[in-house]
Amino acid sequence: MTDVAVERAQSEKHGSSRVVRGGRFRVGGVVRFACIAVYTGFLLLPLYWMAVTSIKSQEDQLSDPPVWFPSDPTTLNYSDALNNFNGWKGLENSLVVAFATTLLAVALGTAAAYSMARFRTGGKHLAFWFLSQRILPPIAIIIPIFLLYSRYSEEWLGFALIDTRLGLILLYTVFALPFTVWMMYAYFRQMPPELEEAALVDGCSRLQALAKIAWPLAAPGVVSAAAFAFIFSWTEFLFAQVLGRDEAITAPVALAGMITFFQGNLYGQASALTMVSLIPALLLGILVQRHLVRGLTLGAVQG
Amino acid sequence: MSDDVHHDPDVSQEDYMSGLRMARRDFLIKSGLAAAAIAAAPTWLKTEQAAAAIEASTGGAAVRDPIATTAVNAAKQYKGLSMGRINEAGPQALDDKNFSGPLWEKLTGIKTNLTEAPFAQIRTKIIAEDLAKSGALDSVELSPAWLPDFADQEVLIPIDSLIRKYKAQATLADLHPLYRGLARYKGKTWGFFDDGDVWALYYRKDIFGNGKLKSAYKAKFKRDLRVPRTWDEFNQVAQFITDQLAPKVYGTGMGRALGNPGNQFYFFQQFRANGGRFFNPKTMKAEINNAIAVKTMNQILLQNKASPPGVEKLDFISGWGLWLQGKTAMIMAWPPTGRISENILQRDKAFATLPKSQIVGKTGYARVPGQNGEHAGAFIKGVMATSENQDAAYLYNQWATSPSISLQRVMLPYTLRDPYRISHYRSPAYKKLWKGADKYLETLCEAANDAVLDLSMSGAGDYANALDRAMTSMYAGKDVKSALDEAAREWDSITNKLGVAKQRASYANFLKYPGATGKNTVRKLGQAVKC
Amino acid sequence: MRWLLVAPAVLIVVALTIFPLGFSLWVAFVQYDFALGDQHPWVGLDNFVENWKDPVWRASLWRTAWFSVTMVAIELMLGLLLALAMLRPFRGRRVLMTLYVIPLFISPVVVGGFFDLFVRRPYGAANELASWVWPGEVAIDFSQDSPWVYITLILADVWQWTPFMFVILLAGLSAIPDTLYEAADLDGAKPRHAFVFVTLPLLLPIILIAVTFRLIDAAKLFDIIFSLTRGGPGTDTYTTSYYLYQQGFEFFHLGQGTGGAWMFMIMLTFISFWLVRRLLKPVEEA
Repeated sequence: MTDVAVERAQSEKHGSSRVVRGGRFRVGGVVRFACIAVYTGFLLLPLYWMAVTSIKSQEDQLSDPPVWFPSDPTTLNYSDALNNFNGWKGLENSLVVAFATTLLAVALGTAAAYSMARFRTGGKHLAFWFLSQRILPPIAIIIPIFLLYSRYSEEWLGFALIDTRLGLILLYTVFALPFTVWMMYAYFRQMPPELEEAALVDGCSRLQALAKIAWPLAAPGVVSAAAFAFIFSWTEFLFAQVLGRDEAITAPVALAGMITFFQGNLYGQASALTMVSLIPALLLGILVQRHLVRGLTLGAVQG
Repeated sequence: MSDDVHHDPDVSQEDYMSGLRMARRDFLIKSGLAAAAIAAAPTWLKTEQAAAAIEASTGGAAVRDPIATTAVNAAKQYKGLSMGRINEAGPQALDDKNFSGPLWEKLTGIKTNLTEAPFAQIRTKIIAEDLAKSGALDSVELSPAWLPDFADQEVLIPIDSLIRKYKAQATLADLHPLYRGLARYKGKTWGFFDDGDVWALYYRKDIFGNGKLKSAYKAKFKRDLRVPRTWDEFNQVAQFITDQLAPKVYGTGMGRALGNPGNQFYFFQQFRANGGRFFNPKTMKAEINNAIAVKTMNQILLQNKASPPGVEKLDFISGWGLWLQGKTAMIMAWPPTGRISENILQRDKAFATLPKSQIVGKTGYARVPGQNGEHAGAFIKGVMATSENQDAAYLYNQWATSPSISLQRVMLPYTLRDPYRISHYRSPAYKKLWKGADKYLETLCEAANDAVLDLSMSGAGDYANALDRAMTSMYAGKDVKSALDEAAREWDSITNKLGVAKQRASYANFLKYPGATGKNTVRKLGQAVKC
Repeated sequence: MRWLLVAPAVLIVVALTIFPLGFSLWVAFVQYDFALGDQHPWVGLDNFVENWKDPVWRASLWRTAWFSVTMVAIELMLGLLLALAMLRPFRGRRVLMTLYVIPLFISPVVVGGFFDLFVRRPYGAANELASWVWPGEVAIDFSQDSPWVYITLILADVWQWTPFMFVILLAGLSAIPDTLYEAADLDGAKPRHAFVFVTLPLLLPIILIAVTFRLIDAAKLFDIIFSLTRGGPGTDTYTTSYYLYQQGFEFFHLGQGTGGAWMFMIMLTFISFWLVRRLLKPVEEA
C-alpha cells in the first residue's frame, strides 16, 4: 500500500536491461526506412488531399486535371461547414459524448475486469458475454432502441432519451465496454496478485488495494482502453444519425449530411469539418501516445 | 466576408436581408462579379421582397393574398407553440431557418423546431416517428413517390376537411394541373404541393449557333443542326459535338451516380418516350426488360459515350459543375439549372461554393427529347397523423404554399424550390430575374403540360432502387439484357412480397394520374395551361 | 464484493440491450413491414427464408467473408511490419507515432467519402497519379471497374485500421522481456529463429485479441461501402451489413432485415467464439 511497493512492481516488470527493446533481431536499416517511408506516404496522401480540398474553391475542386495546390485558397468551406451544416454543434456534442463515454466505460470496465480477473467472477461465460455486444449488427437493435428512446423511456423514466447526449452516452458505453473490459482483464491477469496480497496483509481492504496498487500499475492500460473507447464514440455514425434529431447531432452525422446530400457531395465543407475535428483528436493523440507504448506492454503479453 | 446573420430566428427579416446585402457586396467585390451583379440587379435581394411577403400575409393594402392572410390569422391562437418540421439538410433547410421559420414566427408567434436529414433519411425519420408516436414532427416534407404508402399507412392526415374549414380551395386552383393531381390519392388530398421538379433540356445556344459547327453537321448529316427532338437525334448530335470539340466540350454529361439522384429517372423518362410501360396492368409482370427497354438502355449507354469520362460515378452537383464550366453542350436536368446558369443561386452565401457560371446568357431552354419530360422528385408539405398540433401544422403548410409566399420562396436561391403555380409562370417579378427568364418559365410550364410522372405506388422506393442498381451495373459493362432481366426479376419479387392484388390496385391508381403515361399527359387530357 | 464490482457494467448493458434484443427477436418471427400495415401476424421462419431466396444476400455473405479476411490479414501483416520497424527508438519516432494514429480518429463514413473523392473521375487525383508511374493515359475507373473497386475499398479499410493493429502489436512487442532474447542469443539462435520461437509465441495472444476485434468489426463493414460505392456498381460491393441496412432502413422490410441480422449475428458469434476460446484457454490455465 505504499509507493515503494508500486515502484518495486514496476521495476520488476522491465527486467535488467532497457537498452535494446524487442530483442536481437534486426530489421535491416534500409528495409526499415523503406517500410516506414512507403507507409507514411500512403498515410499522408489522402490526408493531404483532404487538407487541400478544404481550402479549395469550388472551381478548383471541379478542375480537370486536378489541382494539387490551389493558387487562391479560401476559408469559405470552413465557415460554411461550421455555420450552415451544424459543424459547431456537431463538434461540441461529439466532444461531450466521447469524453463522458470514455469515463463511464473505463470506470465500469475496470471495476468489472478487476473482479473477473481476481475472483473469476462469472467465469468465461461472463467474459464472453461482454464480447458479444460488439457482435450485434446495428440493424438488429436500432429500431427497438429508437422506440425505447423515443417512446418507452418517456413512459418508464419520465423523459425521453431520444435526441439527448445522455442517451448516446449510455448506448456508446454499452458498445465500448467490451473493449475496456477485455483490455483491463488481460492487464489484471498479467499483474501478480502478490502485491495486493501484501497490501491486504498490511490491512487494506480490497477496494483500497484496487485503488492504490492495481489501478496505478494498470494506468497505462487504462489509457489505451480509454483511447479506443474515445475513438469509438468519436467516429460512430449510424446510431447517432438515427437517435439524433436537432439537438444531439454529432460530428459524424454533420459530416454525413454533407457527403450524402441528395443532389451532390459537398467535399469542400466535409473536408473542412474533418480537419477541424482532427484538432481535439490530435491533442489527445499526443497526450496519449506517451503512455501508449509503455503502457500497453504491461499485461498485454500472456503466456 | 462576414459570417454573421445566419440561422438566428431572432434576427428580423429586414436585418437579415440587409446583412445578406452586405455579405453579398463583399463577396461580389472579391470575386470580381460586381459589374455583372449591378447589371442584373435581381429584385429578390431588396427588402421589398420581405416586405411583400409580410404585406401579403397580413392583408396589407398593396397585395392581398387571402390564402396567406387566413392562415396567419387563424394561426395566431397558437402563439407560443413549437412546431416540429423536417426538411432536407443543407441549403433547403435554410428556408426554414432563414425565411419561412422566422417570418412565420413574426407573424404568428409559432416557433419552428427543425430536423434536418439527407433526402433518403427524411422518409426513414418520418416512418420512425410514426412508429414512435412521440409528436415530434408536425409538418413534414415528403416526395410524391412516398405518398401511396404514407397515405395507406395513415402516416399523414387527409386535409380536405381542413381546406374546407379555412376556405382555401382557391389555393388548389392556381396549381398547374399536373401538380394538382400529385397531392391527391384515392380521392383525398394529402398535402400541399410545393416544388415543380419538371425536367427540361438545357442547351448551349452559342454552340448550336456556331457557324463552323453548323456547316460541318450539315455536310455530314445532310440536314440542319438543331436542338434534338428525339433520343436518337440527341445521341447523334451529342456524339457529333463530342467528336468535334472534345475534350474542351462534350455533347452531354449527366451524373449517373447510384442514388445521386438515381438513374431510374433517366430510364423512366426515356422508356415511356419510346412507348414502354412498367407493368402489365393485368398480370403485374414487370415489362422493364422487353425490347423497348433494351433499346432505351442502349440509347442511354450511347449518351455516356458522348460524355466526359467518369460520369458513371458523378453525382448531380458535379454534373452541374461540368455544365457551369461550359464543358457540356446539352443536359436534361432540374429547373435550378436555369437559375444557376445565370449565377442567380450563386449570389447567396448558401451557394457561394457552387462554381460560378461561365456560360451566363448562353443557355437555351427546350423540351426534353421525346417531348414528355420527366417530373422527377418534388416535395409535398403534409401533416403527420401523430402530430398533436395538426391545425397549426396545416396552417403553416397553407401559408408557405400560398401564391404570394410561395412566389417569394421559388425566387429565393437556397430553397431549391421551383415554380409550380400558374401565377409563378406568369409572375412579372420572376420574369425580371434575368434576361431570358420569361422563356425559361414558358419552357417549364410547357414541360409540365407534357410531363410524365415518376412511378408513384406502394413500394416505389424498392422498384426504383432495383432499377438504379441494374443501370449502374450496365454502365460498368454488364450485358444489357441480362441486367434488365435481373431487374425485372427483382421487380416481380417485390410485387409478390407486397401482394400482387395490392400492387395491381396501386398501379391502377397510379395510371389515373394526369401524366402517368405519354398518352394521358395534361395536354392530352385537354387541360394544358396557356404559358 | 466481487459481484458489486461487476454489477454496474452488467446492469447498464442489460438495461440497454434486453428490451431491444427481445423486441428484435419478436420482429424476426412476425410480419413487420411498413408497406404491409399495422398488423404483425406470426410468420414463423418466413423472414429468414426470404433472405436466403435473395441472391444478393447470399453473394453479400460470401463477399463479406473474403473482404474481412483479406482486410484483416493485410492489416495484420502491415501492422506487424510497421511495429517491427518502429520498435527501436529513433529521432522523430514520436512524431510519426502521433501521425500514424490519426486515421483512427476519422469516422469511417468520412474515410470512404474521401477515398471516393480521390478516385472519382474526372476530378480525382488517382488517375493522374497513376499516369505518373504508368506509361500512357490511365482510363481505369478505380471506383467502378472490377477488380479495382474492391482494391479501393480494401485500401480504404487498410488505411483506416492498420494503426489499430500497429499500436497493439507494438505494445506487445515491446513487452517481451529482453532477457528472453539474451538467453536465445546465448543458445546460438539466429535472429530469424529468435523471431519464430521467442517473439511469435509470446505475441500470439495479442495477435488473437487484435484479430478478433478487428475481424468482428470488419465483418460489419458498412460505413465505407455507404459512402464510397453505395453497394455499386449494381450490387457488386454489397456487404451483409449494407444489405441489411437497405432492407430494414430504406425499404422498411423490418421483419426480413431483422431475421437476416439475427442469422448474421449467430454466424459471427460462432466465429468469434472459436477465436476467443484459444484466448481464454491459456488465461484459464495460468
